[in-house]
Amino acid sequence: MASKSTLRVPAWIARKDFSEYLRDGRLHWAGGLVLILLLTALAVGWQNQRAISGERAVAQKLDYSDWVSQNTRHPHDAAHQGMHVFKPEPPLSVIDPGITPYVGSTLWLQAHRQSEVKFRPAQDATGLQRLGQLSAAWVLQVLGPLLIIVLGFNAFAGERELGTLRQTLSLGITQRQLLWGKALGLLACLAVLLLPAGIAALVASLWGLTSELQMDTTLRLLGLGLGYGVYLLIAIFVVLAVSAWAKTSRVALVVLLGIWIVGTLMVPRAASDLARTLNPSPSRLEFASKMNADLHTHYQQAWKDNFGVDKRWGSDLPLNKWGVALQVDDHAGYGVTDKHFGDLWHAFEHQQRSQEWAGLVVPILALRSFSMGIAGTDFANHRDFSVAAEQHRRLMQDLMSADLVKNADSLDNKHFAYQADPKLWATVPRFGYQLPGVAAAFQNNLLSLLVLLAVLTISVLLARAACARRLL
Amino acid sequence: MLSAQNVTKTFGETQALNAVSLTVMPGDIYCLLGANGAGKTTLINVFLNFLSPTSGIAQVNGRDVTVEPLQTKRDLAYIPEQVMLYGVLSGLENLDYFAALATGQKQSGVTLLRLLADVGLDETAAMRRVATYSKGMRQKVGIAIAMAKEAKALLLDEPTSGLDPSAANEFSQLLKKASQNGVAVLTTTHDLFHAKQTATRIGIMKRGQLVAELSSADITHSDLEALYLQHMRA
Repeated sequence: MASKSTLRVPAWIARKDFSEYLRDGRLHWAGGLVLILLLTALAVGWQNQRAISGERAVAQKLDYSDWVSQNTRHPHDAAHQGMHVFKPEPPLSVIDPGITPYVGSTLWLQAHRQSEVKFRPAQDATGLQRLGQLSAAWVLQVLGPLLIIVLGFNAFAGERELGTLRQTLSLGITQRQLLWGKALGLLACLAVLLLPAGIAALVASLWGLTSELQMDTTLRLLGLGLGYGVYLLIAIFVVLAVSAWAKTSRVALVVLLGIWIVGTLMVPRAASDLARTLNPSPSRLEFASKMNADLHTHYQQAWKDNFGVDKRWGSDLPLNKWGVALQVDDHAGYGVTDKHFGDLWHAFEHQQRSQEWAGLVVPILALRSFSMGIAGTDFANHRDFSVAAEQHRRLMQDLMSADLVKNADSLDNKHFAYQADPKLWATVPRFGYQLPGVAAAFQNNLLSLLVLLAVLTISVLLARAACARRLL
Repeated sequence: MLSAQNVTKTFGETQALNAVSLTVMPGDIYCLLGANGAGKTTLINVFLNFLSPTSGIAQVNGRDVTVEPLQTKRDLAYIPEQVMLYGVLSGLENLDYFAALATGQKQSGVTLLRLLADVGLDETAAMRRVATYSKGMRQKVGIAIAMAKEAKALLLDEPTSGLDPSAANEFSQLLKKASQNGVAVLTTTHDLFHAKQTATRIGIMKRGQLVAELSSADITHSDLEALYLQHMRA
């Protein structure tokens, strides 16, 4: 046989397998169901993303408008009223909402205190939410491998039972050509199903974006395509390895369904609990009480060092120093909150990393992390927003305190009678936050991608080993 | 063309083949007779390298089947008792697929239809899904695959078992045609009549051994039957 036919043979096998999948109805029924779910998830995701983006943009505008339209008032009162900032909804939350429904989207920037993000959609959800949110990412991560199992469980085992494997192998083709052909056939089925969904996702994600964001989002989409492509290829080679190894297609199906249940439903939950055990994070109460105790110590020290007093905001400190005292007090707390929030976020990130490494055994964990990261809906993006919001809060707070030092401290006992000119409010800029770019997304999620590629290599080797044995 | 030299195959303590030696030259139709479990199918599997001999050498066109399995398979065509094809594909599509795998190149629809016509399947039948085919029709597709492959040797494992007399006779004619074209044919059967009618040489196997070898022209049907029964009772 000519060497160029080495490449043609897998293509012919793939074409034959594809015709079989098409004609025996498996591609229509199983694939069609997955495609409908995928398109439904994209439509729902798109509607949510548009609605949320619109609401947040309007709310951000109105909130800032409220801030700058304040009348004359004491700047510290204004700082206590503060303002709200809203996390922009990433365009690719259409595909993967990630942790967004669970961590909230709105931060209240107020004097003295770094707030937690509020308004989590999951809080308002019904009990049905506990079953999981329908998203394109979920469909691909959980139902994608199941579809490949349904299509490919009998790729080798079924042909062995039918006798066609004997017929095929008597023709002088290699078992490796057969493996590549079967993999290509399954890939063709997925391509037929996923191409329309991919085009729909592209249109839904890019609709109404600026050209700069369109480029960023397109690159992210390509990244997601790469990640999901590697994941589904892993599933293809595992399915083929088991089908080649199993004596009957029934055994292959049972083993593969077992792997699917353990790998997509059971282990991910266990891995999450294990990651929390290995990298413990404090409870909300523990976190708040430790940080408050630490803040108290640092405040006390700062007041003693700067003003020689033990009691904060007591009568020992003359009112002509209250503006300075606000600055000292706030700055004494910045390092403490940075440390405590930093430690907390580090613990979360370590939990995340543990799960990415666990992807070597259960690739859905690595994919989940990669998908959220590239879509801009993971914890790293949430942290970036929280840090930017805190910087904005400090800017607002510092500008208000600086104005008090300049204009109110000199009034001695009439410090609290000071009313700032409304022009002061406009010195605090709008919160113009943008999510980290695509380069940062890839950099942060390189480990997940490498883990997925490593698992793909292992699964290809497994399938090759299974096909290197006598198949008859 | 086909040569077995002292081929032995054991499965645990069971000896499926015991020092079997035979040669099938181009143009020969060598028919192996024997009861179930005599080792006929095992020998076919050894030639196909689906089983490795425990000892001895099996060669196709001078090549050891265990050393050059792909090369030797390319010189062979295999037709089992029941040619297994893909039921959702038509006869033409099955032939197109298997012929492409066998030869490494696609053949035109006209060529494939002619091959099917040569084995007695018209265009209407060729376009039907194989799931609707009778056993005889499937066997014909198997022969068409072998013809498309232009194999130098045919290995047939009880190919006429279950065929009606007319289909079996048609099948025998196709084998004779192939042998006239210089193809070496090794076939197994239980059917003494078919063996006498079709074969140029006949071998009788019993418990893994080739116990008799004779020329079909040198023996009558009744002598063959008597000889066969004599070996089976011994």
